[in-house]
Amino acid sequence: MAGLSLQGVKKRFGHTEVITGVDLSIADGEFVVFVGPSGCGKSTLLRMIAGLETVSDGRIEIGGRDVTNADPAKRGIAMVFQTYALYPHMSVAANMGFPLEMAGLPQPEIDAKVAEAAKILHLEPFLKRKPRELSGGQRQRVAIGRAIVRKPDVFLFDEPLSNLDAELRVQMRIEIARLHQQLKSTMIYVTHDQVEAMTLASRIVVLKAGRIEQVGAPLDLYENPDNMFVAGFIGSPRMNFVPVTVVSQGDGFAVVAAAEVGLREVSVAVRGEPPVVGTRGVLGVRPEHFASGGDACFEGTVSVVERLGGLTYVHASLSDKSALTVESRDPRGFDLGTTRRFAFDPRRAFLFDGTGQRL
Amino acid sequence: MKRTLPQSLALYAGLAVIVLLIGLPFWWVMSGSIKLPREIISRVPTMVPQSFTLQHFEKLLQSTDFPAYLVNSLLVALFSTVFTIALALPTAYAFFRMKFPGRAALYRLILVAYAFPTVVVLIPIYGLFARFGLIDTRASLVIVNIAFALPFSIWMMRSFLASVPRDIEEAAIVDGAPPRVILLRIMAPLIAPGIASVAIFTFIASWTEYLFASVLIVSDARRTIPVGFAGIIGQYQIDWGLLLAGATLATIPVVILFAFVGRWFVTGLTEGAVK
Repeated sequence: MAGLSLQGVKKRFGHTEVITGVDLSIADGEFVVFVGPSGCGKSTLLRMIAGLETVSDGRIEIGGRDVTNADPAKRGIAMVFQTYALYPHMSVAANMGFPLEMAGLPQPEIDAKVAEAAKILHLEPFLKRKPRELSGGQRQRVAIGRAIVRKPDVFLFDEPLSNLDAELRVQMRIEIARLHQQLKSTMIYVTHDQVEAMTLASRIVVLKAGRIEQVGAPLDLYENPDNMFVAGFIGSPRMNFVPVTVVSQGDGFAVVAAAEVGLREVSVAVRGEPPVVGTRGVLGVRPEHFASGGDACFEGTVSVVERLGGLTYVHASLSDKSALTVESRDPRGFDLGTTRRFAFDPRRAFLFDGTGQRL
Repeated sequence: MKRTLPQSLALYAGLAVIVLLIGLPFWWVMSGSIKLPREIISRVPTMVPQSFTLQHFEKLLQSTDFPAYLVNSLLVALFSTVFTIALALPTAYAFFRMKFPGRAALYRLILVAYAFPTVVVLIPIYGLFARFGLIDTRASLVIVNIAFALPFSIWMMRSFLASVPRDIEEAAIVDGAPPRVILLRIMAPLIAPGIASVAIFTFIASWTEYLFASVLIVSDARRTIPVGFAGIIGQYQIDWGLLLAGATLATIPVVILFAFVGRWFVTGLTEGAVK
């Protein structure tokens, strides 16, 4: 087992820079999730760590060893692919034993290690089968098995659950979490699903356009996002953003208002220097931080109501055309087309400046 | 989509025409080989043999050099096929996966091999082989067959290689497999239908090759079936029974080949690998 560090890592395809300088250090045994929208470079970054993509600039170290130009097989990594990438003509046992065979281990030792991994992943009854005779979840477990037999320093997962149906995805997510607790290895996991990121990660790395937007524990990112991108990406449904104007300020807070959407003066905490009066900004409020009562509220027209049973999501449109999503535990009282007030807890609201940076 | 009755009828009628068109000559040859000579040349041809004899086969195997031709043809075709596959597979993989200067240009250039009529290259090849002492050897035919089958085989195998998901190869790279192992243990089994196609193409091309076999082989004992056969057709008379029996026997290895490699023509070989 080992930690990992990326120093000024860049990737160019021709003249296009897809990874624009990433610095990151990952401690031994950490479960780090790379998350971001499609095309943000998260998979490319993972493939660079795996050695499947060359590094245009910078340095990659695994366990203190420079592996920037090392062969994938010599990096002490194992990778689980989105498409499983099993060898279709080999049995489950042969698939899992293949990396050990390549490492030159004697057959009895291979058999023992495969049996051990099969036990961890509940694959014992399937060892003689071919991949096509397995279900999607079982195939993914074989792919994970092929990774764990090698006892790698670092596990790399490239969107491993995105080919599974919703129910299986939840199940496999729990299995991967259990596996991490059991093996205590360093794991790097790429996904575009922020629920997977929140539930699995000890630390989340949010990427956008080849750049790290923020790194932190899941709840840190949720409770303390650095910018609108992270605030919008972490949390589901996504945070509401409403343009506001700063009307007054004090030490550690700013008072904002947006009369056209029914928001009267409300005081919001800011992290650094309070913004000057008159500044245009954006107020971020999560759907789950709406509650009845209180002075801070928006006025909107109910357009769609999604009743999930325990929770209800109300979609409303404000008079300035911005959309609002509100979570409510009470499904009653949201009639379509009616205009009403949606009160929220201003202590949980965030203020961003015109460039999207958190104030 | 469900077919209506007229559509089904039209479909089966069309199939019947195609079957007749392809099957009739075969039937004619095979049924003719067991007819008595007078029935073969009778004025009113018979579709169903009215007589039965194995005299043509007996004569073919006992009083002609046909068995030797058969062995020569088998040797030439088998060696041509095996070497073509052994050369085409790594070449195709190199063109497919390795990066080297001039790759694209070279890849297109190999097809230029087909730009010249074979007759044009016959004389230089004869001169070349004469210098190396290869005239009147079966090896010379093997070399020629490989040279003509290889460009097409490389193209064909490359497209089969391209159909294997990249992830499988990358998984093997991460697992520590060197390129040779990836090609032989991972890729080759997955493109078995492609290898089978190349095998059949090369085997049949070698089996039926006439021009080079007629020029490069001098002695009767080294002739292959197509050339040896030509000798059966005499200047003044043709022994039809002998010819038909020879033609029947000549198709047997090809039929066996299809039966043997046909099972590799299965689709969905990579099923279960990804998704």
